[in-house]
Amino acid sequence: MHTVWVRLNAVVFFGLTVLLGLSILAAVSKIGHSKHHKPVVSRLELNTLRSLKSHGGVDRALLSFDLHADLTPAFHWNIKQLFVYVVASYSTKTNPHNHVILWDKIIEAVDPPEAKIIEEDNIFVKYALIDQTNELRGKEVELKLVWDHMPLTGMLFMGSAEKLGS
Amino acid sequence: MLKDIFIKQVAELKKLWQNKRQLLFQLLNLAMIVFSALMIWKGLMFFTKSESPVVVVLSGSMEPAFQRGDILFLDNSVHKVIEGDVVVFKIRDREIPIVHRIMKVHEKPDGVVELLTKGDNNRVDDRGLYAPGQLWLQREDILGKAVGTLRYVGMVTIALNDYPVLKYVLVGMMGLFVLTSKEG
Repeated sequence: MHTVWVRLNAVVFFGLTVLLGLSILAAVSKIGHSKHHKPVVSRLELNTLRSLKSHGGVDRALLSFDLHADLTPAFHWNIKQLFVYVVASYSTKTNPHNHVILWDKIIEAVDPPEAKIIEEDNIFVKYALIDQTNELRGKEVELKLVWDHMPLTGMLFMGSAEKLGS
Repeated sequence: MLKDIFIKQVAELKKLWQNKRQLLFQLLNLAMIVFSALMIWKGLMFFTKSESPVVVVLSGSMEPAFQRGDILFLDNSVHKVIEGDVVVFKIRDREIPIVHRIMKVHEKPDGVVELLTKGDNNRVDDRGLYAPGQLWLQREDILGKAVGTLRYVGMVTIALNDYPVLKYVLVGMMGLFVLTSKEG
């Protein structure tokens, strides 16, 4: 049959299949990338603990930190953006595991190369470190830089580097 | 031209009705296609342990990473969700799933976690979206963690949602086509 419908049907579904094939190829093409290209985090440390107060029954810490990291190696052509964030991890009696994101930043692939290198000191937290209870005092808090790879097409995954601060 | 096609289809249908065996064959064809699609969907649901393994991004709250019309593949078989994960969750008694990122995780000694989420493009966290009096999300509220993405494919679903009549038109056309095509 050579009606318009048959032709339209063939074009549309072939097109979709090709699109799917190309998307899969795009996703697969960069599988080994992050093993060989690792961003360098040269410094991630607490700068100052501005305040640690009890706020409505829960402890609330405001602090600032230094962050020096070069994230350029994590980018490749299938990466649309990196969602970069600093996680504070600590342990209390009520909650053995706490992980709280203090600060985040979106770095897009289309940003200029300077934007992919973070060299800032005394960065104030975007989100206060608020505990669920009042057991934050005197606890060791570990700061970690994590970046979430957000591809144009394909799998989402994280990469990270550890640095200690307390 | 559309009228010609319509008349042609009606003629085909009439022919089909006269030849009952052919009609049965075409109906079985249609049923096979429908059931295959259903099997794939249910299979996905089983492997990802999610009631909704593929979702369409409906809002701009995760831009620029996910735009309206992107589809996300979810995996709910992960035991733990951690901070930084992009997850899809539903507020109790609400229909619409929300795609946001986990900002805070507090885990109790018995393993129960309490989560706080926020959209990348939003200024504040999601407490304002949760049910009245609800401060944290539980693991049960999470439909799955986003593990992969495909761009633009979800536009079709959004169009179907905004103009429901399109749903009937599309299904009607597809059904008609399968019933009357002569390829075996």
